[in-house]
This record gives sequence, C-alpha cells and structure tokens, in this order.
Amino acid sequence: MEKFSLGSENLDLRIRIAELEKELADYRSGAAKNSNANGHATHVLDGEDDDDDDDEQNGLNPQDQDDKAVKLDLDEFRRYGRQMIMTEVGLDGQLQLKRSKVLLIGAGGLGCPAAAYLAGAGIGTIGIVDHDLVEPSNLHRQIMHTVEKVGQPKVKSIISSLKRINPNPKYIAHNYALTPENSIETLEKYDLVLDCTDSPQTRYMISDACVLLGKPLVSASALRSDGQLVVLNNPPGEGPCYRCVFPKPPPPESVLSCGEGGVLGPVVGAMGVLMSTEALKVLLSRADKKKRRKPAHLSPDIRPADAKDTPKREESPEQKKFYMTIYSAFSDTPFRTIRMFGKRKTCQACSPVATITKESMKNGSLDYVAFCGGKGSGKYPPLTKDEVINVEEYNKLRENKEGGLLVDVRDDVQFGMCALENSINVPITTILTLPIAPDKDGIDGGERTPVPIPSWLPRDTSTPIYFICRLGNDSRIAVQRLKKSGLVKGNVIKDIKGGLWEWSRKVDKTFPLY
Amino acid sequence: MAATFTVLYFASAHTYTGKSEDAVPGPMAVSKLFPYLEEKYPGFRKKVLSSCALSVNLEYVDLTEDADKEIQNGDEVGIIPPVSSG
Repeated sequence: MEKFSLGSENLDLRIRIAELEKELADYRSGAAKNSNANGHATHVLDGEDDDDDDDEQNGLNPQDQDDKAVKLDLDEFRRYGRQMIMTEVGLDGQLQLKRSKVLLIGAGGLGCPAAAYLAGAGIGTIGIVDHDLVEPSNLHRQIMHTVEKVGQPKVKSIISSLKRINPNPKYIAHNYALTPENSIETLEKYDLVLDCTDSPQTRYMISDACVLLGKPLVSASALRSDGQLVVLNNPPGEGPCYRCVFPKPPPPESVLSCGEGGVLGPVVGAMGVLMSTEALKVLLSRADKKKRRKPAHLSPDIRPADAKDTPKREESPEQKKFYMTIYSAFSDTPFRTIRMFGKRKTCQACSPVATITKESMKNGSLDYVAFCGGKGSGKYPPLTKDEVINVEEYNKLRENKEGGLLVDVRDDVQFGMCALENSINVPITTILTLPIAPDKDGIDGGERTPVPIPSWLPRDTSTPIYFICRLGNDSRIAVQRLKKSGLVKGNVIKDIKGGLWEWSRKVDKTFPLY
Repeated sequence: MAATFTVLYFASAHTYTGKSEDAVPGPMAVSKLFPYLEEKYPGFRKKVLSSCALSVNLEYVDLTEDADKEIQNGDEVGIIPPVSSG
C-alpha cells in the first residue's frame, strides 16, 4: 500500500516536472520572439518588493509618476492576458494600469472588493488608508479580512490578502485616519482616489481635496440594501464634485452607519466591485490609444467595392456626460442611472466662486464635522444622574422583582433576534410619535382634548419605567421624549446605560452581542 | 394615462415613508413637490428631503434652478438621499 502511494506520488511529480520544463521552454522561445518583435518582454523581475508589511510606509518617489519605461515581464503577460486581449485594454492599457497609482480610502465593505479587483488588474501602486482594526462584525462583508486577522489593523490585513491575489503591485499602508490637515499630503502622490469611507464629513473632505489636487474621484456608498456610485471631478476641473451633487449634508440624526442601520454584504460588495470598474475606466482612458486600429468593417480602407461614398463627417469631440448609479437591491428594477448636470455654478469647492483652498484644508480651519451638523454632539440628549441607571444596579432591582416596566426601544426585527425576559417592545420610532405636552404657561389656558395614553404605559405612578436599547443611545432619547410628552406623572423614568451591549458584557455573557 | 406621476423613494426616504413609491396627482411644479410630500409625511422635509437630490425621468433636477419646471403626469420622480455609509 505504501509502495503504491509512493509510486503514484512519484508519477505525479514526474508529470509536474515535465509541465514545468515545457513552460520554461515556452517562456524562453516566447521571450526571444517578443523581444525581437516589440521589445516589450523582459526577464527583469520587479526587485521592489519586500515582504515585510511594516516596511510600506516609505511613500512614493515623484519620479515614478513619469516613468514611461514601464514594461511587462512574461509572468505579467500570462497573468493579465485575459484582460489585455480586450479592445478596451491592450498592451498600452495594461502598461497604463501598471504606471498608475491608486489610493483607496477605507478598507471596509467597499474598499475590500474594490482593492481586490484593482490589485488583480495589475495597478502599479495601491495605497490604502484606514485606522481601524478588524472586528468580527466586519467579516460578513469585508472579504479581504479573515478570522485570523481579527484585532489586526485593517490596512495590514488587506495588504496581506491583496499580496496573495497579486504580489506585483507596490502596496502602501496609511495606517491613520484621514483629516483635513493630512488629506492633501496623503492624496497628492496618487493619480486616482476611491472614496470607500462611511461618513458624510469624510465624503465632503475627500471630494474637496480631490478638486484642489485635480484628481478624479470614484465615490460609492451603501447602507441596508441601497447603494450609490458616482465618478466625480472627472475629467478634473470639468466633472461635478460631491458638493455639486449633494450641496447640503444630511441632518446628523438621520445619518446611520452600517453598524446602526445594517447592511447586506453583497450590496456593499457590488458597489465596491463597480467602483473598481469605474477606476479602471478612468485609468484606461489615459492610455495611448493612437496605436489602436478600428475593427476591419469600420476601417475606411477596407470597404465593400459597391459601397457608396458618404460625405465625411468630422467626428466632434463627445460631450462628456455625468451619471450617478443607484442600486436598490430589493426593488424590481434594482439599477437606475441618473444623468447629472455638470458642475454647480455656485459650488463652494469647484466653481469659479469657490472658497475652499489647500491652505484652509491644511491648517484645519475647515470644520467638516461642524458643516455636517456635528454628529455625536447634540444627537443624543444629556441626561441627569437621576435619569440613568447602570446595568449592574438594574440587574439587582430585577433580582428583587423591582424591575418595573422594562421598555426595549429597538425595532421589532432586533427585538425578535434577542430580548430580555419580561421586556416589552416599543420601537423608538413609535416613542417619537408621542404628543408633546404644551408649556405650563401656555398662551391659551383653555380646555384641551385629553390625549389618549398609549396602552403600554403604566396607569399608576409607582411603577418605574426603564428604557433599554442596543447601545444606550436611543434609550436616552426615549427617556427625554417620554418626559416631554407629559403622559406619565410621578413615575421614575430611567435609561439603562450602555444598553444590551453592556448587559451582555457585565451581567449576562450569554446574551448575544451584535 | 393616469392623472398622476410616480415618486420613487430611495434609501432613507424609503425608510421614512415606509414605501418604495407614491402616485402623486400632477402636473406639479418642482417647487411644489417637497411641500406636498411634507404634508403627506410630517417631518419628512427637515429630516430627509432637505439634503436629497431629485431626478425627473432619470435626469438630475436642481431645486432652485429648475423650480418652475413642471412635472408631468406619467413622469418618474426620484427622491435620492445621500447615502454615506460603506
């Protein structure tokens, strides 16, 4: 038995050796032919790559930018052949990709698939900005991060995955958060930027920096089952910027992160993949297409003999059009493409009356957080000490059967996933529809029609009311909103601080964290 | 043709209204649309519409520049809030 397996292993190896020898012979003859024909082939391997991830902070040489002497080696012909034989790519297109430097901001749900395809396509230099660490809740959609990378910096994790797809590109890790102060410096070494971030303020900031630096920007986003994709400032100075499309930021209380609002993995994945396509389109449009021949049937030299002469039409340069693609995964017609008008005449960033400058970005005088209404500040009301209880204290009350009325304000889907025993579900959206009591010194002292009291509220004043939610934010809003309604008089109303997340960490470790 | 045009609600507009679309009686000037929707869905304007892009028949429409543009019955209007997550 052992002899037999050794024998078959030996045979496998012989076959493999024969294959490799044939490949090597093919390489040699192919190389000779290629170098005679067009001089593109070279045996020189890129000596640039160190395998050490920590070594990648070294930045870019400005000379790289103009390196027209980029060539493809034989491995690269093989690796990129399937895309190179496309009319849209060709050798000149592939060389253009190799010459290009692309920056992805964000190594999350959008950045992972976008980077995977750009690395695969043979972009010469790929930079990635992110300051986060890989978390288990990322893994359902951030496909470059894997179980064993949990806890690692995302940039390190994504680059090690990208190297396994394609070791050829130069990968540059920017393991920090992009700020107005460092954005110009970070972006200026690249040819093209992909906005794979997750907040309105970074979207405006990146767009402004791209306008100031004359870089095209591929911008996409996704939440729940919706996605948006738009190529901005392309060509630089002509196409609209993010401010042209959305001049007013969304009100901060309406902005949800994927953690708050949820997101379907393939939806954000699809948007990331589409970003990589748009990025390739922008880069390939810069390739030297003069050498291209038209297909024979369109070539004026080869025409059927009986073809009539048509008057020559001057090919007018095409009017550049701008589009935004909207994806609604659960809609019967999931994709829609909206035609945009060009730049906004009054745009603060890209119009002739623009006020945003490199200096105002670099010195930090532009406050994007304030422009976007300061998410975090003012979103959740401050509560007094008497309005808050921590999870341990509340647990003690429960054990003594003094838990009162426990109101879980998450939506019904989350309540259905897991909930504390004896809690009732009144979603925050319902609580926000409670009436607001008029001021005590109302102008009219007249009779008011009494507002019906919702059935879930206790009718006595002795039952305390405790609000809980996932993380302890909505429950704070609920406390304040119920007080404002004037519907309960005298009852203790408290927020359970830190919500179910804290409950799971401090009281009951078997309660699911999500 | 029905005497209405269709309003499509994307992203947070869909969440706010709980619907993917509405049939709205037309014709109607662009400038009248948001007040109309605010009446139908109180709070919609401040919380969602204020930052939305608007499209009519897949063309971006600017609320100030195209304020007088008439939305015709049979048109398709898109309410497009900025999505910023990713």
